[in-house]
Amino acid sequence: MATVVLENVHVDFPIYGGHRSLRRVVFERATGGLIKHSGGKSDRVSVKALSGLNFELHDGDRVGLVGHNGAGKSTLLKVIAGVCEPTSGRVLSEGRITPLFTAMPGMDGEDTGYENIMTAGQLLNIPLKKLESLLPQIEEFSELGEYLTLPMRTYSSGMVTRLGFALATSIDPGILLIDEGIATGDARFVEKAAQRMKEFVGRSSIMVIASHSNEMIQSTCNKALFMRAGEIVAAGPVDEVLALYSDSPYEAAAVGAG
Amino acid sequence: MSIPSELKSSLRPLTTSAFEDLSNGLMNWSLWARMGWLEVKRRYRRTVIGPFWSAVSLAIMVGAVGAIGSALWKQDPFEYLPFLASGLVVWMLISSITIESCGLFVNSSTLFRQMRFDYSILVYSLVWRNFIVFLHNLTVYVVILVLMAPQQINFNILLVAPGMLALLINGVWIALLLGLICLRFRDILQLINSLIQIAMFVTPIFWPLNALENSARVVFVHFNPLYHLITIVRDPLIGKIPPSEVYLAVAVITVCGWALTYVVFERFRKRIVYWS
Repeated sequence: MATVVLENVHVDFPIYGGHRSLRRVVFERATGGLIKHSGGKSDRVSVKALSGLNFELHDGDRVGLVGHNGAGKSTLLKVIAGVCEPTSGRVLSEGRITPLFTAMPGMDGEDTGYENIMTAGQLLNIPLKKLESLLPQIEEFSELGEYLTLPMRTYSSGMVTRLGFALATSIDPGILLIDEGIATGDARFVEKAAQRMKEFVGRSSIMVIASHSNEMIQSTCNKALFMRAGEIVAAGPVDEVLALYSDSPYEAAAVGAG
Repeated sequence: MSIPSELKSSLRPLTTSAFEDLSNGLMNWSLWARMGWLEVKRRYRRTVIGPFWSAVSLAIMVGAVGAIGSALWKQDPFEYLPFLASGLVVWMLISSITIESCGLFVNSSTLFRQMRFDYSILVYSLVWRNFIVFLHNLTVYVVILVLMAPQQINFNILLVAPGMLALLINGVWIALLLGLICLRFRDILQLINSLIQIAMFVTPIFWPLNALENSARVVFVHFNPLYHLITIVRDPLIGKIPPSEVYLAVAVITVCGWALTYVVFERFRKRIVYWS
């Protein structure tokens, strides 16, 4: 039984240094979250990335996050993952959380494929024993053969993503968080990967994915959240929310001072 | 909220206290030991003698400074060289932990921005990899001791173990505290680099303590925490029992340092990802 609960979650990113250039951004009214000056002598600038989110996710939820650049989708994923603790409000959860923001965390080009699998696996909280038992199928699926004994800087970028994909999708994710999908390599591999991805997502109890691809959200999600300027504009069935999203103008977030 | 209360009980908040971070991180020794070891390996990959490069440069330094220093402070070379080598070995451990800790969080931000992370893992890994390099450097001292002053080898050497443990425990808070400060205030890195250079000269590493005898400036030694942290390992290395003053000072440094670091870490732990 997995659950995620957000209670009145606010996230402000303080910006250190470079006040001047930011001030220009404020006047240009670019996209993104609310940029506010906290007033007083310090004149600290912060970006309001999420403001007052409330929702719950339960077993079986497959949620697609949509919204323009800077709407807060990635920040929301990071808050659920526990990477960013909210400035105010709280996040409660039950169950294992697997954030897949990069396929191979802690990767270093100087280390061999095997060494990177072990490091990334431990960073993903896979126990050593489990990791060893997963190794054969990672080897098989990534099709990298002898390359696994070479430093990863000798890999092509497609080979790196293949290994990352093979490792990441080998586990039972629990609450799965994905930002912009996972790259999968060349055309032949894509088909094979799509099948594995489907099984992987199927093993998760809750999935939240941020994506700009409507097809991906339609094919994998049963709910959607439309975000704008750090707030949830609409939530509900995928088709309704996507329709609302595609009708919305590309408008800038309101910007306030003080 | 709409969730029934019996369900809510199994929900846990995603916050981690400083204590949980430090203890969970320590338990995850297989990860930090691995990260520390790989970092050492990486740094010397494709070199022939690897980490022993640092030992070679240490040996050259001991030879050069030893030749001049023994004349400068009128020391018996057979006593001075083990003294110098033991001091330098320990000093290199302390200074490299201090300097590297400035980049602790700055350089690893890609890691902890991707996943929920016990930050202390980075700290343990840093101290561990410096300890590995220390063990390589130690070979220089062992060779010098055996060749030049075998009469200094006695059971007091066993006191190296508790001294080393105390030094490493202090290394952890130093790395964590400096890592936090340098992440928030990026200028501190430069400051630390110059302070470390100055500290090398005002701490009795090259010069023997008795050179300051009868001088009021001996306060530079007794109120210098680095002197105590070095001596607690160095004296046993050269076969002496460290003065009880040193053990007392190290105990005070450990307690105060950890108390300060814990308060700072508890207060600012959740800001780390925002500062990066």
